[in-house]
Amino acid sequence: MSAPNAPLTDEKAAPRSNPFRSINLSTRFWVALVLVAFVVVLGMAGWVYPTGPGEKVGSLYDPPGDGLLFGTDNFGHDVVSVLMAGTRTSLIIGLVAGIVATTIGVAVGLVSGFVGGWLEELLMGVTNVVLAIPSIIVLILISISLPQSTIWSLAIVIGITAWPWTARAVRAQASSVATREHIDVARLSGSRLPSILLRDVLPYILSYTVMAFVLQVSGAILAEAALSMLGLGPSGANSLGTQLHWALAFQAVASGAWWAFLPPTIILTLVSFGFLLLQASLDEVFNPRLRRGKRRQMKQSAARRAEDARALAASRSEQDGDDAQDPESEAVPAAGRGIQEGGVA
Amino acid sequence: MSHLDSSQRILSGSTRRGFLAASGAAGGVLALAACGGKSGGGAGASDDLVGVGNNGMAGKGRSGDAADQLFIAGFQWSPPTNFNTFAAAPAWPASNNVAQYVYETLLRYDIVSGDLLPGLAAKYEVDGTSSITLTLQDGITWHDGTEFTADDVLYTFELGKIDESLGVASFWVEVDEVTADGSTISIAINKDRKNVGMVLATLAQQFVVPKAVFEKAAKETGNKLASWETKECMGTGPYTLEKADQTQIILARNEKYWGKDFYGGLPAPTKVIHPIFKSNEDGNLKFQNGELDVMQQFIPQISKMWDSGKPVGTYLQEEPYFVPGSMPMFVINTTKDGLKDPEVRRAMAHAVDYASIAETAMSGYSADVLASLIVPGGAEDQWLDKDKAKSDGWSYDPKKAEQILTDAGYAKGSDGIFAKDGVKLGPWKLITPQGWTDWNAALEIVAKSFTAVGISAATNFPQQAQVTTSIQNGDFDLACWSVAGSNPATPWQRFSDVMSNVEMVALGKTAYRNYGRWENDEVNDLLEAAAAAADDDSKKKALTALDDLFRKEVPAFPLMYRPDEFFEFNASNWSNWPTEKNDYAPPMFRGAGNQWIFKIQKIGG
Repeated sequence: MSAPNAPLTDEKAAPRSNPFRSINLSTRFWVALVLVAFVVVLGMAGWVYPTGPGEKVGSLYDPPGDGLLFGTDNFGHDVVSVLMAGTRTSLIIGLVAGIVATTIGVAVGLVSGFVGGWLEELLMGVTNVVLAIPSIIVLILISISLPQSTIWSLAIVIGITAWPWTARAVRAQASSVATREHIDVARLSGSRLPSILLRDVLPYILSYTVMAFVLQVSGAILAEAALSMLGLGPSGANSLGTQLHWALAFQAVASGAWWAFLPPTIILTLVSFGFLLLQASLDEVFNPRLRRGKRRQMKQSAARRAEDARALAASRSEQDGDDAQDPESEAVPAAGRGIQEGGVA
Repeated sequence: MSHLDSSQRILSGSTRRGFLAASGAAGGVLALAACGGKSGGGAGASDDLVGVGNNGMAGKGRSGDAADQLFIAGFQWSPPTNFNTFAAAPAWPASNNVAQYVYETLLRYDIVSGDLLPGLAAKYEVDGTSSITLTLQDGITWHDGTEFTADDVLYTFELGKIDESLGVASFWVEVDEVTADGSTISIAINKDRKNVGMVLATLAQQFVVPKAVFEKAAKETGNKLASWETKECMGTGPYTLEKADQTQIILARNEKYWGKDFYGGLPAPTKVIHPIFKSNEDGNLKFQNGELDVMQQFIPQISKMWDSGKPVGTYLQEEPYFVPGSMPMFVINTTKDGLKDPEVRRAMAHAVDYASIAETAMSGYSADVLASLIVPGGAEDQWLDKDKAKSDGWSYDPKKAEQILTDAGYAKGSDGIFAKDGVKLGPWKLITPQGWTDWNAALEIVAKSFTAVGISAATNFPQQAQVTTSIQNGDFDLACWSVAGSNPATPWQRFSDVMSNVEMVALGKTAYRNYGRWENDEVNDLLEAAAAAADDDSKKKALTALDDLFRKEVPAFPLMYRPDEFFEFNASNWSNWPTEKNDYAPPMFRGAGNQWIFKIQKIGG
C-alpha cells in the first residue's frame, strides 16, 4: 500500500503540537479584552454604585471633590453615576444594533451570494443603493420621524441602517463557498436551501461574521453617540452621547468643566478602540496568514513544520526505494489531494 | 462723578427711579473694595470708573479705531439678506422691537420701572380708556435729511390696513382711528375693547418707517409689503446702516442725529459692529476675551467670568443677575383625557422641582417661581399680590402632588402610574424646540419630577417650526412655550395669552393664544374688566381676580423666570454701563435700552 492512499489515521500520526497552541492569542487580543471588559464592568457597576444617575447631588458643574470623583454635570447629577448608566445604555444599544445589523447583513449576503442569478442582482442592487446613501442622513431622518425615541427604537434604527457592508462582504464569501464540492454533496443528499445555508455555508463564514458583528457593535455605539449629540438620542435615558450633548449644550468646554465632557469622550474612545482591536486580533486567530504570535512560537512551529517535512521526505525516500521497480508510482498525485480523496472515500 | 446728564431726565418727563448722587459714589466704593481682589486677563481694578465688571474691574481699552467702536452680539445669527422691517425675518437692526439704532419708536418702555419714556413722541396723554394723544418731538429728520412728520406715523400704522398680513395690522383691532393735527396725533381706542395697554405696547414697539420709502415699496410689490426685499434701511435713529455682509453688520454714527439735545449729545461709539457668529460658544468666547462689549446671549454661569478676573458685569450684582422679564410657560393641552382635570393640573404644578430648574437649567438666573402670571421684581411687581400667590398657590411638594391625585380618586397601577376610570396619567410627551437648551433641560427636570410622583412623561425636542405648528394647532400633550414678556400691556397680555376664551380655536386650527384650549365661562369678563380698568386700584383688583382664577384652574403654570433680554457687558473698552448701583438706564437693548449708548465712556485713548 502506497503512502498517497494511506488512511487518514496514518497521516495524523505525524507529530502535532497541542491544538490550543495553534490559536495564537496575541498580546493585542488580551489588551482588547481588558479594554472591553473594563467598559462592560463600568456599565455593570452602575447597579451597585450608591448614587443614581437621576439623583441631584450638587449644582451646575460642581468641580471634582467632596466625594465626587468627576464632580457634577449640568443637572447637578454625579458624573460617575451618569457615566455608568450611559456606558450601559451605549453597550445595550451597540449589542442590539449589532445583532440586528449582522442578522440582516448575513441573511441578505448569504442568500444573494449562494443563490446567485437575478436574486443576487436584486439584493445587491438594493444593498448598493442603501450603501450609497450616507447612513448618518438616513439615521437622522428616521430618528426625527420616530414618535418616541427609546433606546430600543434607536438601536433598531441604527441596526437597520448599518447592515449593507456586512451584506456585501458576506455575499462575496458565500459565493466562494457555494462552488465547493461539499455543497454539491449536500445538494445531492437532498438538503433544502435553508439547511444548506445554515449548516454548509454559514459555518465556513462564521469567523468572518463574528468579526463583522464586533465591528457593527463598535460602529453602532459611535452612531448612537453621534445621534445623541445632535439631540436625537433616547429620551429619558442616559447614554454617552446624551452626556456629550448636554455638555455641549451647557458649554462645558467654554466654562472649563472638563469633567463633564472628558469622561464620556474617553470611554467612547476606549469602547471603539477596544472593539476594533478585538476584531483585529480575532482576525489573526481565524486567519492563519495574519497570525503573528510570539517569535518563539513562530520558531517552534517553523521547526515543527521542518521536522514534519523531513520525516515525510525520509518516509518517501524509503518507500521510493521499495517501489523502485514499480513504474506506476510515478503517477502519484500530490499528497494533499490524496488525503482529500481518502477522506471523502 | 456725574456721568448722568440730569437735563435728560427732566426732558424725559417721567418719574424715573431716583438716581442718587450717592449711587455713583457707592459704585466707586465698590470698585475700591474690590481693589485688593484678583486681577488678571489684562483687566485691573479701577477706582474712578463706575458701571464696570461685577468684580469691580475694568480693562485698559482697545487701541486705534476699535477704541471708539462698540461690538455687540446676540441678535443676528445668519447672513443679513433683507432689511425690510416688515419681512418675516428681517436682519438686525431692522428686525422688530430691537435696539433703536436705526429705526425708532414713538415711546420707549423701561423694563425696570415700567415707565413709558418719550421717544419720537415728546409726550403722551391717556384720556381714560377712550383716546391717547401724542405730541411729536421737534426737528426730527430722516437719515436722508428730509423732515419727519406726523404723516410718517400715520402711514406706518396705515400699512396694517394696506397689507393685513403685517404684524402692525393687530393695532387696528384695538384702535378705531388715528388722526393728526400738526405734530399732535390722536388715537381713538376701540370702544368695545377699551384696551389702552395693548395700544401703548404697540406704540412702544412699532418702529416708525419713512412714508416716502414704503409707499414706493407698496407700489412695487402690489401692497405685499412682507415680500419686499431691500439692502437698505433708512430711519431716524442715531446710527445708519453702513455695511452688512456675511460676517458682520456695521452701523455708523449719524452725526446729524435729531436727538442730540434730547439725549444730551451723540452716542459715544462712532460705530456699532455686530459680528455674526455660528453658535453661542463663538460669541461667548469673544465676549469673555473682551472682543465683544455687550451682548444678548445665554452664558451658563456667567459669574465664573468675573470670578476669573474678567471685567464682565450684569445689572444685578447678586443672583439672579438679570431683571426678570418673561416666564416660560408649561402649557397643558386641556382637551386631553386626564389633563382635562384641574386637580391633575394642580398636582403637576406641585410635582415640579422649580428650584432645580432655576439652579441648573437656568444657571441660577431665575428667582423662586410664584403661582402667578405676573412677573415679580420688575416693572410688573406693583400688580402682584405676593401673599396670595404664596398662600393659594403651589410649590414643589411631591407628597402633596400624590395626595391631590389620591384625593381626586386616582390610584397607582402596577406600573406605578396614577389612573382613574381607565384614564391613565400619561404617557405624555413634553415638547419644546431642539437647541433651546435651558428649556430642554427644564423639561428634562419636569419629566423626572412627574415620573417620581407617578405621572408618566418623556421629553421630545423636534425642530422649532414643528413645535410651533404643534402647539398652535393643539397637537401636543404638554409643552414649554413663551408668552408675552414684560411690556406696557403686561400682565394683562399674559393673562390673555394663557387664558383668553375670546375667539376659541378648534383643535387642528391655528390658535395665537390659549394654546391649551382651556375653557372657562368667567375669564372673558374678567379680562375685559382688567383691560378697561380706569385706575390703578381697580386694575390691580381685576388682575388679582384673574390670578385667583389662574391658581384655581391651573390652565398652565410658569416653570421659571427669564430676563426679557440677557444684558451682559464687558468693561474692557467701555465703562459706565447701567447697573443696579448706576441705574441711569434699564438693562435692555430695545425700548429705553437705547439710553446707555449715549452715556457709556471710553476707557482707553
